[in-house]
This record gives sequence, C-alpha cells and structure tokens, in this order.
Amino acid sequence: MVKYTNYLMLLPGLLLCVFFLVIPLGIIIRIGLAESVSTAEFEIHGLTLQNYVRYFTSPQTIDILGNTFGTALITCFICFLVAYPFAYFLTFYIENQKIKSYIISLLMVPFLIDWNIRTIAWIPILGDKGIVNSTLMSLGLIKEPISLLFGQAGLYIIWLQTYVLFMMFPIYLALNRIDPDLIQAAKVLKAPPHRVFYDVIFKLSLPGVVCGWIFVFVSTLGDFLTPGLWAGGFQTLGLSISTFFGKNVWPYACTLSTVMIVIALAALYILLKMVDIKKLIYES
Amino acid sequence: MKLSVKHLPAKIYIAIIIVIVYLPIILVVLLSFNVSANVTFPITGWTLDWYIAKPKGYEYGSYISVLYDKSFWKALTNSVYVSVAAGLLTCFIVTMTALTLRRRIPGRDILFYMILLGFIVPGIALGLGNVLSHRMLGWKPSFWTPVMLDVIFAVPFGLVLMMARFEPKLMEYELSASSLKASPLQVFRHITLPLIIWEVISAAIFGFLLAWSEVIRTQFVIHGTGVLSTFILTELEINPVTTKWYAAGTILTAISVAGLIVFAWILSRQTARR
Repeated sequence: MVKYTNYLMLLPGLLLCVFFLVIPLGIIIRIGLAESVSTAEFEIHGLTLQNYVRYFTSPQTIDILGNTFGTALITCFICFLVAYPFAYFLTFYIENQKIKSYIISLLMVPFLIDWNIRTIAWIPILGDKGIVNSTLMSLGLIKEPISLLFGQAGLYIIWLQTYVLFMMFPIYLALNRIDPDLIQAAKVLKAPPHRVFYDVIFKLSLPGVVCGWIFVFVSTLGDFLTPGLWAGGFQTLGLSISTFFGKNVWPYACTLSTVMIVIALAALYILLKMVDIKKLIYES
Repeated sequence: MKLSVKHLPAKIYIAIIIVIVYLPIILVVLLSFNVSANVTFPITGWTLDWYIAKPKGYEYGSYISVLYDKSFWKALTNSVYVSVAAGLLTCFIVTMTALTLRRRIPGRDILFYMILLGFIVPGIALGLGNVLSHRMLGWKPSFWTPVMLDVIFAVPFGLVLMMARFEPKLMEYELSASSLKASPLQVFRHITLPLIIWEVISAAIFGFLLAWSEVIRTQFVIHGTGVLSTFILTELEINPVTTKWYAAGTILTAISVAGLIVFAWILSRQTARR
C-alpha cells in the first residue's frame, strides 16, 4: 500500500518529464534521421543517415563546432578564473554564515533578470558612447570608439555576468565539504602554503570545479540569442539550429539538435562519473 | 566578528565582483529616469516621463511611455500568469518528488536522472523539441506550453535546493508520528509540512523567478504578444533601444529583486537555524 502511494507521488514529476522532455527529445532524434517532413500534416518520411553525412562533410561544420566549443570553453575558463577565488574567499575568509548566504543570493540576481534587460544594460558601459570608450578617449588612448559590445568581448562579459554563479556555487559547496583538519594537518606538517593549496584544497575541490565547468558549458551551449544578437554575425551550433528551424528545414535542424544533445549528454556523463550527485542529495 | 586586515583583500575582491555584476543593473535603474532617449551618460535631467507620460499621439514603439504601452501591460499580465502557474507547479512537483526520492524505492534513480536532464539539455533543443512534439501529438500551443517548459527547467534547481536542505531528522519524526497511529495525511499535515514549509515556499519563488526571466525556451512556443521576455525581444528586433526599455527593465528587475529578497531571507533563515 505504502509503495503504491510512493509511485503515485512520483507521478506528476514523471508525467512532466515524459511529455515535455523525453517525447520531445525522441522526436528530435527521429526527425534528425528523416529524409523529409511535410510541415502541413506533419508526416515523417524515410529513415536515413544522409543528414549526418551532410553535416559532418560540410566544410563549415569544423568552423561552427570550433566557434561553439571555443566560446563555451573560454566562457568556462573566464568564469572559473573569477569564481574560484570568489568561492575560496567566501569559504575561508567570511565567517558569518548569514552574510555568506546573502552573497550567494546576490549573485543569483543577474541570472534571474530578464535576458533583454540584462544585455541592453551593458550599452551605457560598453557601447560606442559608453563609459569605457569615453574614458579611454578622454585619456587619449584611443581616437575612435572601439566596438566592445558587438564583438566577442561583449559576449564573454554578458555570459560571465549571467553564469558565474553556476561556476561559483558548486566550487563553494566542494570547498565547504573539505575537512578543516586536513588543511590543519598539512600546515602542521610544514607544507608550504602553495602545496597546502594545490595538493589539499584544490585537489579536493575538483569535483566542484568539474560541476561548474559542465554547468556553464551546457548553459552557454543552449544560449543562441546572446551570440546571435551581440556577437555580430558569428555562427554557433545553436544559431544554425535556429536558422534551419526558421527556414522549416526540420530534419536538418533536428540533426544539429541531436548533435547538441549528444554533446550535452556526454557532459552529463562526465559529471556523473566525477561526482556522485545522488549522494550529495539523497543518500547522505 | 573581527574584521582582520589580513582578509581585507579577499573581501575587497568579493565586493569588486559583486559591483561588476551589479553595475549594469544599477545603471538601468538610474538611466531610466533620464530625459534623453539615449541610454548613455550624461544624464540630461531627471524625469518620470518614460514611465508615466501621456502620449501626445504621434509616439510609437520605443517612444511611448511604459504606462500607456498596452502591449507591454498585456505581456506583463501574461508573464504574471505564466510565472505564477510555473511557480506553483514547480513547488508541487518538487515537493512530491523530493519527499518520495528520500525513500529507497526501485527506479528512483531513473526519475532523478530524467529531472537532471531538464537542466542539462540545451534550451534550444528543448524549445524546438516541444514545438515538434506539440505538432505530432496534435496539441495547440497554449498558456500551458511555456509554463511546462519553465517548470522542466526549474524543477532540477528546486529539487536540489530542497533536498539539500531537508531537516536531517525529518524521516525519524515522521516515523514516530506514524507509529503513534497518525494517518499518512495527518503525518504530512502536522509533521512534514510544518518542517519543510520554507523549502516549499522557496521552491515556488524560484519557479516564479525562473519563468519570469526565461526567454530561450519560451520564445519557441509563444504566439502573439507573449510574455514579457519574448515581447521585449521582438520589440527590440524592430525598434531602437531607448530609455523606455530601461524603465520597463526597472519594473521587471524590481519584481525579480523583490522575489529574490524573500528567497535570500528564507535561505539565511535556514542557515541560522542550523
């Protein structure tokens, strides 16, 4: 009796996942293998690998995948550089628990602010007449305004602002779980500070670092609006998907989406190999 | 708390990062009161015109004040409905799932991974997939479509947040209540719910806030005026960025921040309890 109630309670989550996650992904994979789809009555014709062949033999593919992975990994790296010291200082140098949780909540604000507002907010700072350009010009360092916003710099800044929390939070959790006695032991045994940091603290925080990289990576992978509007004619996988979808070339759009989903699943697999998330949540 | 000088650089670093992250948002609020339509400094004068000025009749799009922009208010209303529905649904699903996943029942890992997938799958694939699945299943995109996409995205966050913060002895309390012959419903109402009520509320707030700002998934499945995020997105594709959008942004941000203050308060409350 109790058992059935348990499954009954899982039912809403299960239905949600099946209808709005599993079925849509299944359809994407199926249409990615189709020859054509009639848009009017939605009939799927044929079963073929020709889309994949076309995709992987296309000369642009290397560039687009390069751009996609390149921007995503650079964003991860920038976020990591900013977030690791942040998480470290927050863990070891701020004593007050309340202030800690307020600081974490503060970092959530940009992620939860409307995307449009978050991006146009950079115009007064990075735009042609923005603070950075006018400062540099009045200092005489540059003569013409440099295009900060509609280039890759703008993209990285916006992504850093949005996703830094995704990097910071897992690292912070990992650092918090390090047994202070271990650090103390290393110090007592006269390890030099850089070895205490690298061999004890950094290595023990690696699961959090991997978590952070993967969170930021998949978030930037799925975000096609920011590179589309703010990075000026620069192709990524997400942008190609939206272009082909917009032109109603569904099979090809779905093929590209499948590639993207596979990349994301690979990231998830690495994550699960590195960190036992289940333990973190329901088996502690 | 002693404020040692040794830790001062660390604290300054934290402060600098927060300022960098916040500066643009603060400028949006500041510049929304600017007389000039250009969203750059200098501020030529202070005014509320971009919020409440009565239109003279010839303004359009980016030059009409927020108060008199009918589409904006329609989108705002839609956004409120969608976000409230997403918040309540997230809260319901997260609570049910979190309470059950604690128990060792066969198959729970499968559901847990599926929920995690909702966060891992890139937004564009999820949006596209749902457009296609709606076509295949013969569903018309409706009010519920963006709600469901937002919930799929919010549930993994909510679940992790809730389960990581459960009262450690919750299951023992429940067990003692049920061994004293309390019915499952009584246990839930008098033992479980009072102990997790803040987690439940924070899950609802998180779902609301996520739906309030989500655009990548939503813009695939919405039609007409849509919700605020998609409305502003389409407006800015054809219209220039003027101070009016900063005024609109200030209103949106104010709601996000209000929600987050409650959220932060709940989180800090729990931390203090422990």
